Parts: sequence; structure tokens; C-alpha cells
Amino acid sequence: MYGTGIWRGMWITLRHFVNTYVDDVKWGFQRHVPPEAFPVRQGLQGRGSFTVEYPEEKIAVPERFRFIPFLIVENYDHPERPGHDWCTSCGICAKVCPPQCIWIVRGTDPETGRPKPEPVDFYIDIDICMNCGLCAEFCPFDAIKMDHDYELASYDRTGNHIFDKQHLSKEFRYWQSIAPTVAEKEAEARGGWEHKDVLKARAKEAKAKD
Amino acid sequence: MGPQHPSTHGVFRMMVKLNGETIERLEPVMGYLHRNHEKIGERNTFIQNMPFTDRLDYLTSLSNNFGYAMGVEKLMSLGARYNPPTRRAEVIRVLMAELTRLVSHFWSVGFLMNDIGAFFTPMMYAVEERELVLDFFEATTGSRMMCNYLRFGGVANDLPERLRSEANLINDRVRDFSTMDYVWEMIFERLPRAVDQFDEYLTTNEIVTNRCIGVGTLTREEAIDYSAAGPVLRASGVPYDVRRAEPYSIYPELEFDVAVRYHGDVYDRYLVRLDEMRQSLRILQQVYPLLKATEGEAFFSGRGGMYSPRVPAGESYGRVENPKGELGYYVVSDGGQNPWRYHVRAPSFINLTALERMCLGHKVADVVAILGSIDIVLGEVDR
Ligand code: SF4
Ligand code: SF4
Repeated sequence: MYGTGIWRGMWITLRHFVNTYVDDVKWGFQRHVPPEAFPVRQGLQGRGSFTVEYPEEKIAVPERFRFIPFLIVENYDHPERPGHDWCTSCGICAKVCPPQCIWIVRGTDPETGRPKPEPVDFYIDIDICMNCGLCAEFCPFDAIKMDHDYELASYDRTGNHIFDKQHLSKEFRYWQSIAPTVAEKEAEARGGWEHKDVLKARAKEAKAKD
Repeated sequence: MGPQHPSTHGVFRMMVKLNGETIERLEPVMGYLHRNHEKIGERNTFIQNMPFTDRLDYLTSLSNNFGYAMGVEKLMSLGARYNPPTRRAEVIRVLMAELTRLVSHFWSVGFLMNDIGAFFTPMMYAVEERELVLDFFEATTGSRMMCNYLRFGGVANDLPERLRSEANLINDRVRDFSTMDYVWEMIFERLPRAVDQFDEYLTTNEIVTNRCIGVGTLTREEAIDYSAAGPVLRASGVPYDVRRAEPYSIYPELEFDVAVRYHGDVYDRYLVRLDEMRQSLRILQQVYPLLKATEGEAFFSGRGGMYSPRVPAGESYGRVENPKGELGYYVVSDGGQNPWRYHVRAPSFINLTALERMCLGHKVADVVAILGSIDIVLGEVDR
């Protein structure tokens, strides 16, 4: 019969409409879903509305989520070298970065004038960065990682969007907190929780003692 | 007509000569989104092009990666030291490519409805399912749309054990699912149901049939002459699918039918997409046991941390059946770090050339529906 298709369509729309309210009743009409309800609503069992009411609630991003990179520095309460960069300014990230938005200034030793393996400055133009994650993937020292903090709005787009070393640096602890399992895997590959250099130095010391 | 708002199909303009309401001539004007993709590709090293291919057809970044990875792998296989992708990698690649196809077809059917005036309700139902697939992509690859996931010789990362997140910002809500359960639930329960619902919702709808049947017809010969590909070609009665014509990856092992329809109008293109979604689900259901069987195997055959793979001089053409049609990458290398020439055969661009043929004699309102049925993504058309 002519028109049945439309009615069937309307029926589906109605079902969706009702489902939304069924969901609301189930969770007690809370404006912002209680935390336990969230994985159900935003998962494969979700039936009702899929809306997430940003900024009152946000979906936590998974561990592998990639946003603008940040540099790992030693924890500020590290016994040997607090706040020391993990980066050795090897330049691989700058080389592999597809839009070429990383600029590294390599440090020199003031006495000998020879290059030191740590960056004096490290700039990333986050307007250009395409969040591809290649820098984090190929850094041999696990010193640059992709961040999870995507709320970057700012009032000035000329100066604010070129991040310098100070802005980029974050404690190692932070990386452990945003990506625990990934950090653990990397530590396993390195052979310990510490930076490669520290681990090497330790191994050397232990050898010397023997 | 146009340039239209980017949230519809992209910035695209048509020069239309009208006689009253009837189209007499139509000329697509492209290039508003030109980004110099191919020239940048020649500056980049091989691996650096991978994230750029995401930005071609931004709805199907994983299968774009797939085509490019295949093109370069073919080239690498001419050289001395080359390890083909591992089995696990191939299985994951096909899983991702088929999920991408589902996502893209959901999107395109939704947008077709948008174009014929069912404003946003059907599309939102489609996007709901897409959301869940993208959650899976995000947890696996790190990004919802710009996945940058494939590498030469495998994939960048194995599937995670759990799709979990850590609260980090204020008001963050945490989710934690087991990946395999999530995938199972998705491909055996949720997505088939969604496709059926779509079918029930739209296929017999009188408004849809009135607007779509007999509109924008492209005959078999014309489709071949315009070298159309994908659903546009298959809706015109040519059962041509790269997955069958030149099987790649693990497709020869998988059972699926090439969806084909014979009228070549907007409605048939819609039906072909629905059929393809069903076939994709069929493939996914066969891939799932393979995924289980290869669990824990290596997902990458090359050396880790290799940012400049050695690519011998030569040329190759890697092609995949993208949701929009045949996507091909022509890569020429002179043995150096970057491709010497890099060209993309973009399916939406080539399908778009047939637009005038389909529109002649129809009304202005039909042009929008026809454009929707070709399913273009301007990121790929203009490159
Ligand atoms: S690759 Fe790592 S260690 Fe090398 S310069 Fe970049 S951040 Fe520093
Ligand atoms: S994420 Fe990609 S674009 Fe951004 S700095 Fe790293 S390599 Fe460059």
C-alpha cells in the first residue's frame, strides 16, 4: 500500500525517541549521567541518546590517543637529575616529522664548545603539527610522547601556538598516569623505568664494582 | 551552484546551464581544496606520506593507508631485503578496511538522505553506529579519523587488549571494554542490526523511491567509458571489484559476493551500498576467527624504529577497493629517500567526471541527489 514505507520509517524514529526516554528513566533523570552509566550509554549496549554533554562530561580518551606531542623530563623529585630532559637532541623526530614543524636547538658545552646531548630549546609549531605520532614512534629514547590534553584554545594565535621547551616539558610521572600500560611496555623494552642513559650508567657502575 | 558548505560534501561548485528547471549542461569546478598532495608526496620520505594519505578521503583513512602501503611494499619487494607483512598484520588490515567500508557507506547513505531532504535524522542514526566503530579505531590507532596506522610490512601497533581510557581532564568519564568482546559484539550484533534497520527504514520509503528511482541513470557502457569505479560502476551492472579482480591481502581466502545492480540510477547505487555493507559484515565475521587464531603473533615484519626504509628504484601501482571505488597509488622511486613521482588515482574524482552525463535532462533538485549518490569526498577530489 502506498505510504506504508513512510509509516514504517516513522515507527523507527518513534522507537529511537522512546528509547532515549527509557534510558533516562533507567538512570534516574540525572542531567549528567552518573559515572557508572556512562560506559553503558556510550558503549555497544547504548540504546538512547549518544550525546555527551561537553564540557560537563567528557569522554576520557584511550591511552593511545594522539594529540600534540610533549617532552618527557625526569620527575622533579628524582634523586639524581630532577627535571632533566630525556631528549638527547638526536634530531630524529625533526627529521621524520612530515610537515617539518619541530625545531631543535642543540646544546653546546660552554667549556669545550662541543655539542652536548641535550636540547637548549625545542619548538613545535602546533598549528602545523598534524598529530601523526611519528615523532613519538621513532624517538629512540622515548623522550617525546603524544599528549592527551586536547583543550588548547587560546586568545592569541601568533605567539601562543609555538610551544617552546618549557611549555612542552612534562614530568615522566604524567606519562605514566595518562598511559599506564603503554608506559609499562616501553619500560620493559628499555629494561627499567629509568631513561636509557641512566640505566646504562647504572650498569656500568655495577660492573665497575664487581 | 555552490561552492557549498564544507559540512555537506565539501567545497564544490557546479556551473549549470538551465532551461527553466532542466539541466542542459553541467560542468564541475574543482580545486577549492587543492593541497598539493602529490607534490608534497614527492618531497616527503616514504613513511612521511602515510599520514598525508589519511587526508585524502578523510572518511576512509585506514583503507587509504592500505593502498599506499601496498604500493610501496610492491616496490620494496623488488629489492633484496624485504619481508612481506605478517599474517596477523594482513588480518588486522582487512578488519580495518572492512570496518572503514561500513563507516563510509553509513556516512554516504546518511548524506544521500540529507541531500534528498530528509534532513539529518537518518544521518544521525548512521553516525551513531559510526561513533562506536570510531571508538575502536581511536583506541587501536590513536585517532578517530586520521589513523596513520599501517606501516610497510605490517601495522603500527597491535590491537590493544582492552579499550580503556584514563581520566585525565576534569569531568572525564572512563570506559573500559575488552577489545575482542567489543569487536565481537560490534560485528555480530550491533552493526548487522543497524544495517537491517536502515534497510527497513529507507528502502521502501515512498519518498526515497520517488526521488531516487530512474534518476541519474548511467548505462553500463557509459560507466565503463567514464572509467567509473566502486558503487557507481557496480550499480550500472558491471560486477567489477578490485578485491576480486586483483585479489590482495587475505581476500582470496574470504567468501563474499560482489554486489551488483543493473539500473544505474540513484536508487541502485543506494542498494549496492546496502548490499556491500552486508558483504562487509560477512567478511568481518570470517575475519574474527582469524583474528583470534593469530592473537599474539607478530604484527610487523620489518625492523622496529626504521624511519627510512630502503626502497629500490622502480615503479609500482598499488590499488585497493576503497568504499568509493578503486583507489590506486602510482609510486616511482629512483632509489632514494623519497618517491620520485607519486600519483593518486582518486575514485571520487573520476566518478565525478560522469556527473554531467547523469544529470542531463533532470531537474535542479535532482542534481543534489545525484551528487549525493556518487558519494564524493572533496579531500580526495582536489587532493
Ligand atoms: S627523537 Fe627523541 S631524543 Fe631525538 S631529538 Fe627527538 S625527542 Fe629528542
Ligand atoms: S606528531 Fe607528527 S606532525 Fe606533530 S610534531 Fe610529531 S611528527 Fe611532527
